[in-house]
Amino acid sequence: MEQTDKILEVEDLTVVYNTDAGTVHAVNGVSFSINKKETIGLVGETGAGKTTTALSIMQLLPERTGRITAGSVKYRGEELLTKSKAEMRLIRGECISMIFQDPMTALNPLMTVGEQIYESLDIHNERKKSPKELEARVDELLELVGIPARRKTNYPHEFSGGMKQRIVIAIALACEPLLLIADEPTTALDVTIQAQVLNLIEELKEKLSTSMIMITHDLGVVAQTCDKVAVMYAGEIVEYGTLEEVFDRSRPHHPYTIGLFDAIPSLTEERKRLKPIEGLMPDPANLPEGCHFHPRCHQCLEKCRSGAVYRYEEGTHIIKCNRMEKGVQDGRVD
Amino acid sequence: MEELIRAVDLKKYFKLSKTEYLHAVDGVHFSIKKGQTLGVVGESGCGKSTLGRVLIGLIEATSGQIQYEGTDLLKLRPAQKKEYHKKMQIIFQDPYSSLNPRLSVFQLIAEPLISNKVYKTKGELVDRVGYLMEKVGLDQRFINAYPHEMDGGRRQRVGIARALALNPEFVVCDEPVSALDVSIQAQIINLLQDMQEEMGLSYMFITHDLSVVRHMSDEIMVMYLGQCVEKAPAYELFKNPMHPYTKALLAAIPQPVLGARGKKEIIRGEVSNPINPPKGCRFASRCQHCCDRCTQEDVMLKEVENAHEVACVLYK
Ligand SMILES: Nc1ncnc2c1ncn2[C@@H]1O[C@H](COP(=O)(O)OP(=O)(O)OP(=O)(O)O)[C@@H](O)[C@H]1O
Ligand SMILES: Nc1ncnc2c1ncn2[C@@H]1O[C@H](COP(=O)(O)OP(=O)(O)O)[C@@H](O)[C@H]1O
Ligand code: SF4
Ligand code: SF4
Ligand SMILES: [Mg+2]
Ligand SMILES: [Mg+2]
Repeated sequence: MEQTDKILEVEDLTVVYNTDAGTVHAVNGVSFSINKKETIGLVGETGAGKTTTALSIMQLLPERTGRITAGSVKYRGEELLTKSKAEMRLIRGECISMIFQDPMTALNPLMTVGEQIYESLDIHNERKKSPKELEARVDELLELVGIPARRKTNYPHEFSGGMKQRIVIAIALACEPLLLIADEPTTALDVTIQAQVLNLIEELKEKLSTSMIMITHDLGVVAQTCDKVAVMYAGEIVEYGTLEEVFDRSRPHHPYTIGLFDAIPSLTEERKRLKPIEGLMPDPANLPEGCHFHPRCHQCLEKCRSGAVYRYEEGTHIIKCNRMEKGVQDGRVD
Repeated sequence: MEELIRAVDLKKYFKLSKTEYLHAVDGVHFSIKKGQTLGVVGESGCGKSTLGRVLIGLIEATSGQIQYEGTDLLKLRPAQKKEYHKKMQIIFQDPYSSLNPRLSVFQLIAEPLISNKVYKTKGELVDRVGYLMEKVGLDQRFINAYPHEMDGGRRQRVGIARALALNPEFVVCDEPVSALDVSIQAQIINLLQDMQEEMGLSYMFITHDLSVVRHMSDEIMVMYLGQCVEKAPAYELFKNPMHPYTKALLAAIPQPVLGARGKKEIIRGEVSNPINPPKGCRFASRCQHCCDRCTQEDVMLKEVENAHEVACVLYK
C-alpha cells in the first residue's frame, strides 16, 4: 500500500481520566489505521472507550481530567499529539471534522442554522471569500444535505431530530474534511430517518472522497456503512479486521464479538430465548487482570486470569484471545 | 384463549388551544388475550406511550372503550377503577428518571405494597421485597442501594420488581430495553419472558426496535400518527408485510449481516404532525402509491387475510 493512501494511523493509544474516584483507564493501547475513502467502524457497548478514542484524535479531551499517556496519532504521516493548540485548531477546521451523538448539544439554540453554518465557514476562510460567496456556500451545503436553503433563517428547535442531524452534518462537511468522525450519528433517530441520514453520509463521502470513523453500538449500522471493523471492550480493540473477516460467522472470532451477535434478536430466525452475555461491563477504574473480558467469558482458561493475552493475526484479521493460540484448541465457537 | 383487554375506538386528543387538537391516539381497536403479548411499533411521536398510559389509566381517554374482562373501565366510578388499576402496571424506558432518586431499592419495591396495604406485618413486607428481588435477579446486597449507585440493567430490574409487586395481570412495557446495551438488553428480555410464563402475564410491549418486537410478541400492531395501520400475528407481519409504511419500516432496518453494505431504498420525508390532521390516509404524503382515493376519505382497518388487518386502499 502506498504511504500517501494512509489518512490516519493510531498506534498504541492510551488515555486515562483522573477523577476523585481514581484513575479511569478509558482507552488501553488502541491501534488502527484508515486509508483514503475508507470507513472504519468502532463498535462496542457503553463505556468501551469509543468516544474517548475519537476525542483523543481530535484533542478535545476534557482538559482538567483527560490525559493521553502513551501512543501516537498520525494524520497523513504527521504526528498530531505534539502539535500546538493553534495547529490543532487549524487541523480540526480543515482536515478532520466530528459529528456528535446528540445534534441538540452540537447546535446553538440562539442562532439560526444559516448563521451557524456561515460561522463555521468564516472561521476557516483561508481563501478570503467574500460574504456573498460564503452565503452562497451556506445555501449549497443546506441543499446538499436535503434541506431547502430558504430554511436557513430558522432556529434549531424548528427542525425535527433528523433534520437537525443533517444540519450538523452540513456543518461538519463545511470545510470538506478528509476525515469525518461520526459518534453515534443516528442513535437518537428513528429507523426510517436513520436510513435517510446514512444514505446521505454515504453519498457525501463518495462526492468528497472522505474517510470516516463510524462510532456505533449497532452491528447493523456497521454492516451497512463500514469497510473495516474494530470491536472494542473495556478500552481495548479485542477484534479487528475487514467487514468480511469480522462478520463472516464461519471464521474464528473473539468470544465477546460472538456474544454481541448472539445477544441481538434476529429478524429472520426463530429463537425462543436470547443468549445474553452474563455479567456486566467492568469498572474502568478497576479493570480485571489478564483478559479484561474474563469474568464474563464462558471459555475462560486459567491463564486468562492474569498476564498478557495472546494476539492472533491472520492477514488483516486480529483477535486478542488465549483460545486462539495454537495448541490451546480450535478457537471456533458456534 | 380468553381475552383480557379490548380497546374499542380509543382516542386521546390533547387540547393545545381553542382550535388545535393533537390527535395522539386516534381511534384504535385491539384486544389482548391472557398470557399473550401485543407488540406496538412505530416512530417517535406516533402515540405508543400515550396509548399505553391511557390503557392503564395514567392519562384519561378522550373517548372509546377499554374493556377489562368485559367491563368498560371508562364507565366505572373512581373507587372501582382503582381495583382494576392494581392489576395493570407499567415498566418505563428509562428506569433512571422513573425511580425516585431518594429512595433505596427496599423502599422503591416496598412502596406499592405499602400504599396498597397488602401486607400485615413488617416481616411479611421484608419477605415480599426479598422474594421480588430474587425473582428479578437482584442480589440482596443491593437492598439498601440507591438508583444512582446501580447500572441501567439493575435499575430496570428494580422497575420490573415494582411493577410485579402487586401481582398484576397486565403490564405495559414501554421501551423497557431501549436504553440498555445489547448484552444487558438480552438479560432483561429473558427476564420479562420468564415472568410472563410464571405469572401468566399479558403484555403490551412498546418499542421502536423491530427485531425486539418480533422476538417478544404474539401479535404486532404498527402505528402511524395515532392510528393502527397494520395488525397481524408476529411471524405473519414479518413474512408478509402489506401496508406501504410497514414495508418501508422493515426495509429501513440495518441488518448485521454481510451483503448489506451500501445505500438502501428509503422512504422520503418525515412523520408529519398530528395537530388537526387532514382527512384520509395519514401516510399519504410519504407514500409512493398514493392516489385520489387515499385523501378523499379516511381509510379504515380491514381484515385482508386471516387475522391480518391493514388500513390501505391497495387492499380490500
Ligand atoms: N401531555 C401532552 N400534551 C400535548 N401533547 C402530548 C402530550 N403527551 C404526548 N403528546 C403528543 O402526543 C403525540 C404522541 O406522543 P407519545 O409520547 O405517545 O409518542 P411515542 O410513540 O411514545 O413516541 P416515542 O417513540 O418518542 O416515545 C406526540 O405528538 C406528542 O408530542
Ligand atoms: N470526562 C470523563 N471523566 C471521567 N471518566 C470518563 C469521562 N468520559 C468518559 N469517561 C469514562 O471512560 C470510559 C470510556 O468512556 P467513553 O469513551 O465515553 O465510552 P463509549 O463512547 O464507548 O461509550 C467510561 O468508563 C467512562 O465512564
Ligand atoms: S482470553 Fe480467555 S477470557 Fe479472554 S476472551 Fe479469550 S478465552 Fe475468554
Ligand atoms: S391508503 Fe394510499 S397513501 Fe395510504 S398507504 Fe395505502 S396507498 Fe399509500
Ligand atoms: Mg460514546
Ligand atoms: Mg414513548
